[in-house]
Amino acid sequence: MADWFAENGLLLGLALLDGLAYAALVFMVAVGLNLVFGVLRIVNVAHGSLFAIGAYTAASIGIFFASRGLPPWMSYVALVLAAVAVGAVLGPLIEKLLLRRIYGHEDVLQLLVTFALFMILEDVQKLIWGVQPISQDTPLRFLGTVDVPFGEDVIPFTAYQLFVLPGVAVATLLALAWFLRRTLTGRVIVAVTTDKEAATAMGIDAARIMLLTFTFGAGLAALGGALASPTTALVPGVGAQTIVLSFAVVATAGLGQIEGAALTSLLIGLGRSIAVYFAPEFEVVVPYLIMVAVLLVRPQGLFGVIETRRV
Amino acid sequence: MLELSGVSVDIAGIRVLRGVSLAVPPGGRVALIGRNGAGKTTTLRALMGLLPVREGRVALDGQDATTTPAHHRARLGIGYAPEERRLFGSFSVRENMLLPAEVLRLPRPETARRLEAVFTLLPELRELAPRRAAGLSGGQGKMVALGRALMVGTRAVLLDEPFQGLAPALAMRYAEALARLHQALPEVAILITESNPELLRSLVEATYVIERGEMAPA
Repeated sequence: MADWFAENGLLLGLALLDGLAYAALVFMVAVGLNLVFGVLRIVNVAHGSLFAIGAYTAASIGIFFASRGLPPWMSYVALVLAAVAVGAVLGPLIEKLLLRRIYGHEDVLQLLVTFALFMILEDVQKLIWGVQPISQDTPLRFLGTVDVPFGEDVIPFTAYQLFVLPGVAVATLLALAWFLRRTLTGRVIVAVTTDKEAATAMGIDAARIMLLTFTFGAGLAALGGALASPTTALVPGVGAQTIVLSFAVVATAGLGQIEGAALTSLLIGLGRSIAVYFAPEFEVVVPYLIMVAVLLVRPQGLFGVIETRRV
Repeated sequence: MLELSGVSVDIAGIRVLRGVSLAVPPGGRVALIGRNGAGKTTTLRALMGLLPVREGRVALDGQDATTTPAHHRARLGIGYAPEERRLFGSFSVRENMLLPAEVLRLPRPETARRLEAVFTLLPELRELAPRRAAGLSGGQGKMVALGRALMVGTRAVLLDEPFQGLAPALAMRYAEALARLHQALPEVAILITESNPELLRSLVEATYVIERGEMAPA
């Protein structure tokens, strides 16, 4: 064991740090997917496209800011701007034009419609940004690197991935938990998630809540993409990769608990990055192995909500 | 006055209500009796606007409300306690009861006054208030559903088979609560559905019977 650590300690350290940063991004996407499914009862296959468009938009705004000679910290403003813009424009557009027509329809139809939307958005993205890799890493370079002590080794790691990504994810988790428990709008969202018809009979305008929730979820996905954009070169296909991973998180965590989504993101993010470093040929399947293992034992997911007692 | 006249409703393309008419006068206590699947729940859902009305009309105090959006009906003073009680499980009993008042943005003193009135009427709810709704028994849940309906039901409450599945002792308590309700708030109309006509005989002033989606002689 000690020998193994001496040989592989550095790799393990890198895998953990990478996994943490990756888990933060996966959480941002999965928590939105979870919220949207809870309220709209639609599995939005195009949720990953919002991540991708958020990433591209952030890169474009960042490049534009840089071309105007704005200071590098403005690249963070670009990330937030991109998330807000994508959420506020695409969210209502998609909900009002498309999703509103398929509420309560059979699952197959909903899957086909959102899958079609995914294909359309992938092409829109290629039309606007082309297929050449785009890179805009000012936010990453601006904060520099930190030397992380790990046993006897030191791992240089970017401060952006070490602090900003997990920080934003934790802040999102806390803010969301507070919002859903403590504000009226939050409780109304929970009520519609629990029972749309009963909520309507209480005077809740469910259509408005669905629009609001979808817009918010779209914004979270776009924020995830925007935050991811400095860490990688953007190429077509990033949306598909994200959505598949966040499906695994939502299925593993079970629906309803955002804290559960956070822990599961961590589990799957770490699992995947450990595979990347130690068994790269399993990188793609590890999240699903975790998912299958969990669902075999707990079909409702790790944190699935317990059914209300009937008697 | 809560009125349905000649109301027909389709679910998934199949007509389940055919020309249903009934009237609940202000402060009146009315029973809608029918077997399982006769259309009792559908009638209440149509009254609440939760299902589109194909023919006929729904009126409140003579005002047409056929196309009033469902979420506006709570504002009109109609409270609804669905059959499966359908509380919000992750909320406390108190939060369940307060939610409709908060959604309607009632002034705080008015909300507090109504909550106190409901607690006086249904004293067991005061003790249950801090409990999580998911952990309640069936009978407790029905009491909470009634209390929640009363928080907004200043004109009428629609109670869908409240006695279904209640143990005899609990059913007695529920019936007593309804009698107290009528004494304390005589202006609130009660429309209550049930499959057994004997059970409600002493509680109501008028009875409608529904069979296979149509009104039948009482």
